[in-house]
Amino acid sequence: MKVLKVKQPASEGIAMGWAYLYQPQERIIADYRVSAEDRNKEIERFEAAVKNAAEELFVLAGENPIFAAHLEMVKDIALQEAVTGKIKGDGNNAEKAVVLACEELILLFEAMEDAYMKERAADIKDIRERLLGQLTGLEKKTVSCEEESILIASDLTPSDTAALDLDKIRGLITRDGGITSHVAILAKSLSLPALVGVKDIFSEVADGDFLILDGYTGELRINPTEEEKQKYHELTGKHKEAEERIKAEEHLPGITRDGKEFHLCANVGNIEDIKKAVTNHIDGIGLFRSEFLYLGSSHFPTEEEQFEAYREAAVICGREITIRTLDIGGDKTLPYYPMDREENPFLGFRAIRISLQEKELFKTQLRAVLRASAFGKIRILFPMIISLEELRAAKAVLRECMEELKAEGIHYDDSIQTGVMIETPASVLCAEELAKEADFFSIGTNDLTQYLLAVDRGNTKIAALYNSFHPAVIRSIRHVTDSAHKYGKKAGMCGEFAGNEKATELLIGLGLDELSMTASLIPGVRYRIRRLDYEAAGKLAEAAVNKATVSEIMELLQ
Amino acid sequence: MVTQTFIINNKNGLHARPAGELAKIASTCRSDITLKIGEKKINPKSILNIMAAAIRFGTEIELACNGETETEDLKRLGEAIEQGLGE
Repeated sequence: MKVLKVKQPASEGIAMGWAYLYQPQERIIADYRVSAEDRNKEIERFEAAVKNAAEELFVLAGENPIFAAHLEMVKDIALQEAVTGKIKGDGNNAEKAVVLACEELILLFEAMEDAYMKERAADIKDIRERLLGQLTGLEKKTVSCEEESILIASDLTPSDTAALDLDKIRGLITRDGGITSHVAILAKSLSLPALVGVKDIFSEVADGDFLILDGYTGELRINPTEEEKQKYHELTGKHKEAEERIKAEEHLPGITRDGKEFHLCANVGNIEDIKKAVTNHIDGIGLFRSEFLYLGSSHFPTEEEQFEAYREAAVICGREITIRTLDIGGDKTLPYYPMDREENPFLGFRAIRISLQEKELFKTQLRAVLRASAFGKIRILFPMIISLEELRAAKAVLRECMEELKAEGIHYDDSIQTGVMIETPASVLCAEELAKEADFFSIGTNDLTQYLLAVDRGNTKIAALYNSFHPAVIRSIRHVTDSAHKYGKKAGMCGEFAGNEKATELLIGLGLDELSMTASLIPGVRYRIRRLDYEAAGKLAEAAVNKATVSEIMELLQ
Repeated sequence: MVTQTFIINNKNGLHARPAGELAKIASTCRSDITLKIGEKKINPKSILNIMAAAIRFGTEIELACNGETETEDLKRLGEAIEQGLGE
């Protein structure tokens, strides 16, 4: 048995079946010169092919939005001009002109930096095949295979995938492409397990080999033993059952067996997210990123625009909602607010630093939040605080806004809570002092891990060093929760770590009161919590805090 | 001629689907339309040209319409862009 592995599976699930190697036939393209007087006829031939291809795509577009884009592409005037130019000007026949014109576009897209755009070259290839099919009158072989197959191809165009016999296919593997490719998107939407970018697939797998595709770990087992097959049969059953069990409890509270209840909240970026999140049985919005209001606008949003958005958010949420004040800088910039290039933008002019310096902008936002607080339960969260002075300065601006509103006779919640985002080593070490003056903490593990470990989380070369299970991160969380509780304040977590089920027992044991994550992760975490013992989790956390290495901590969590 | 600038608010920029939507609307406009991104000018009636321009989230674009129907064309295009081009 041999095992191939990719870093990131394209679509989750386990598939077992026989390898079916799909190799599209090579098309032989006619290549001849067209005399000057026949060139208009050749153009007509091309135009007829476009018309027929468009009719085909029009039908397909009803089922799949990718083909709606293809329909536009096949009729595209830039493509038309390129092809007719090659017929009229250079005397190419229609087939050759299509090949040449598409080749230029394919090269253009393949040369792009953006992974998504790079993969759009596949769309052009697909259109080329469709037009050539019309011109030559030869249909490409459709994808047909035996029962229980795992389809293997160098790449699959949207047309190939539309022709798949889905009753027989259990999983998909491609040699090329990334996790944003058509194959990946299609596989997810069909709940088919898939691996993409498996470089050695053709040299390692032959037609008819038996395969186990593990879309959880990214592993592909070639000709496994009976024992292995049995193991995976059981695993598949377990995964299915687990999903059903989790779903069955999604409406129940996040409470441990010994009766400790946790708030499970959603992180959201806009009103649409909130609408989706509230269908997921959430206890509130733990992090509302206010940036979307600024990013989606052509100017700094006015107090009125912000008020409307925050009010709507609070009303739709219907429970407590934590609004984080503007957190730009670092990797996020605004088109209408030019920022100087900085050597270290993540250590630069960002988040609360901008708000405190641009006081009028800050006041506009705080006044809008305050006004909205009359319509729902809102908390304010200040990002990237490194000192007590900053917290005091931010609260002073808030008080100023409150006094103004009071004088204007405008209602707001005058007991509105203010929190500190714990995401710098400084805020961890000053947590006790901050806890005296803040109403709550929210630990942002993404930035905290990056700053504590001095590891840039966008740098792929050192990606392996970025790990929130590092003892420094775990001990920081413990210190922050202890400090908060000492002064009767609550501590939550709103980083990606909060949604990591492997970490759930540790996190509740460390004393966090609230976990906020992408809404879709909540049911899994809730299910975990409902099977945990709070007291045992506390002991586990105590042991973890005293471990010296990541691997010792991981071992403890097994 | 009428012009207006917009900020692209599609999270993944103008990839195939929104680019197709923009091209589709532009193709039905009777005025001449130019889309400017920085110094680059492209024809928004072509989905391929729009895609090739790799317009990302937050990019500022300028639309210019020239012809009898310029005002209503610019309004239609602008509304579609602000509404996220079908996304």
